[in-house]
Amino acid sequence: MLKLRMKLALFNLSSKLVFTLLFLILMPYLVERISLLQVDNELIQKREQVITLISKIGIEPFMTSDNGNVFGSYNILKEEFISLERIELKEDVNYIEVSQRLIEGEKITYRVLNYSFKIDGNTYLLEVGKSLSSILHTQENIKKVMLLFLVFIILITFLTDLQYTGRLLRPLDLITNKLKGISNPSIFDKSPVRTTTSDFHHLDDALIELMRHIDKLFQKEKEITVNISHELMTPISVLRSKLENLLIQRDIDAEISTKIEESLKTLHRLQSLVNSLLLIARIESQQYLREESFSVQEVLHEIITEINPIAEDAGIIINEDFENDFLIRKANRSLIFSMFYNVVNNAVKNTPPQSEVTVKTNLFENNFIATVTDTGKGMTEAQMSSLFSRFKTKPENNVESTGIGLAIAKSIADFHGIEILVNSDIMKGTSFSFRIPENS
Amino acid sequence: MNVLIVEDEKSLANEIASFLKAEGFLCELAFTGREASEKIAVNLYDFVLLDIGLPDYNGLDLIVEARSHGNDTAFIIITARGTVEDKVKGLDLGADDYLAKPFALMELFSRIQAVARRKFNVLNQNLKVGDFVIELQSRKITCRGNEVIITKKEYELLQYLIINKNKVLTRNQLYEHIWGNILDDQYDSNFIDVHIKNLRKKLNEHAPTPWLETVRGVGYMISLEK
Repeated sequence: MLKLRMKLALFNLSSKLVFTLLFLILMPYLVERISLLQVDNELIQKREQVITLISKIGIEPFMTSDNGNVFGSYNILKEEFISLERIELKEDVNYIEVSQRLIEGEKITYRVLNYSFKIDGNTYLLEVGKSLSSILHTQENIKKVMLLFLVFIILITFLTDLQYTGRLLRPLDLITNKLKGISNPSIFDKSPVRTTTSDFHHLDDALIELMRHIDKLFQKEKEITVNISHELMTPISVLRSKLENLLIQRDIDAEISTKIEESLKTLHRLQSLVNSLLLIARIESQQYLREESFSVQEVLHEIITEINPIAEDAGIIINEDFENDFLIRKANRSLIFSMFYNVVNNAVKNTPPQSEVTVKTNLFENNFIATVTDTGKGMTEAQMSSLFSRFKTKPENNVESTGIGLAIAKSIADFHGIEILVNSDIMKGTSFSFRIPENS
Repeated sequence: MNVLIVEDEKSLANEIASFLKAEGFLCELAFTGREASEKIAVNLYDFVLLDIGLPDYNGLDLIVEARSHGNDTAFIIITARGTVEDKVKGLDLGADDYLAKPFALMELFSRIQAVARRKFNVLNQNLKVGDFVIELQSRKITCRGNEVIITKKEYELLQYLIINKNKVLTRNQLYEHIWGNILDDQYDSNFIDVHIKNLRKKLNEHAPTPWLETVRGVGYMISLEK
């Protein structure tokens, strides 16, 4: 894909090249035509001069018996000649041609004007010639100069065009830059781009208007989610208290208490779902503060310490491979904790007993990277593609999970500008990498 | 202790009251903000459980009113709108604790106990269970003078079970107490079993723990005869 500016420059250049090529093909012909026309004019002028002279002094001075009724004259360098001859002609002639003449043993190409006229019943042929060698030479020079000039002009216009289109398209660049890396319409820069081009102005206006509209819709959707969630909390609360009060009665039999516990569990799942939706809606509508600075390594260590008893129980070792620490700024610690916790916990759950989970940190190209690798079953492409979608990744071995944990992790990552990369090999395991930019 | 329950959802208010009464509290109910405001002005309560999402009143104003009259009642906010700002605002206005709906009644009870210890300096004596003593101040467990080394989570579990002694607690309730809501989705019943197993092991090295019962199909309970 090429940028518009580049495309315009390329088009510009190629159109100029085509134009030049055409000119180069036509130039010799044109130059020749023009120079011949010039010569012909001169010849006609000379002819007029000769005719005027003859009408003044008569033909006799030219036609003497000495020269056998032929008069010829040429200058030293044989560039021009005039000849006058009495001859018999069937009809009048008046034309210009290119012909070669032998003058003092030298063959020279001339442009020759042939003109016949009558005086006292005699027909005379006047020939006025001009050598073409100097003309051809001039032609070569003109061609060279023109070629140089052309190249120069093309170069200059190409550069100025490039500069100018760059300036002209700058607002478009600004608009595309505004669109780059936008994950959410709420972070779109809604200040108008300064431009005197009405098309860009319309484009920018339309985009801003569109973003505002989408933003509003998103906001509304989130508001609805939040409101519904809140509305659901009260009935869940009532049910829960009733069941809890029932369960702590000392005289109920085991079968009933098991059933109550099961109902509580189901209710808890409902509560989890609503809470998760609420959490995501709140993260996405920026309701959480981001004003803490803390060590990522410390958070990871804390999570590993919390999960370790469960891992140990299953014979899973969690390796801490910390190469670099990183102080994350402008972040929400409990959300970041939750994000890593979900993924580390997931890794432990997906790893078979007697194997390992590794949590690694390192710096790569100015980014801090935390990687959680398990040695579980791995995932298929299809599973990976729906990994972060809500409710799509319910693992078969985990009945309690609502399958929303990774969706939560993803929205927390987005909220903090953290990129999550997933790598998975069937039967080998999966790794989640969190790329935290230095300037976050 | 006297408790005023301010909650517009009548059946929830009744359930909370019935639970607290069983724990020996004297409970009064207020279903509207106006009613609550009058009761707080007239009576002296140790605790006010306050739902701030009242239809006729901004619940937080009740705290402001009470505090402006020099009333030192402990307020525990309960709300379905558990936003961070709500929480910060509530605590700034002088609330003593904050619980998001839905919560476990046992969690509410344990919060009340914690506030009572902190605020009224009561219930601060150490808890005895079997041969073990739980020192609430220093968050330590000793057995005949020897300290039992357990993790923070294990301590929290044990304390929660003891405060709610003689009541069976489900794994969900225990999990929620330790990890709160933020890790909700990752709820795994195995978590609690592993922690209880480890806790039992550590305690059993010092003395037997027949009082820490597993209630089949339900959860765990610390059973102590009163």
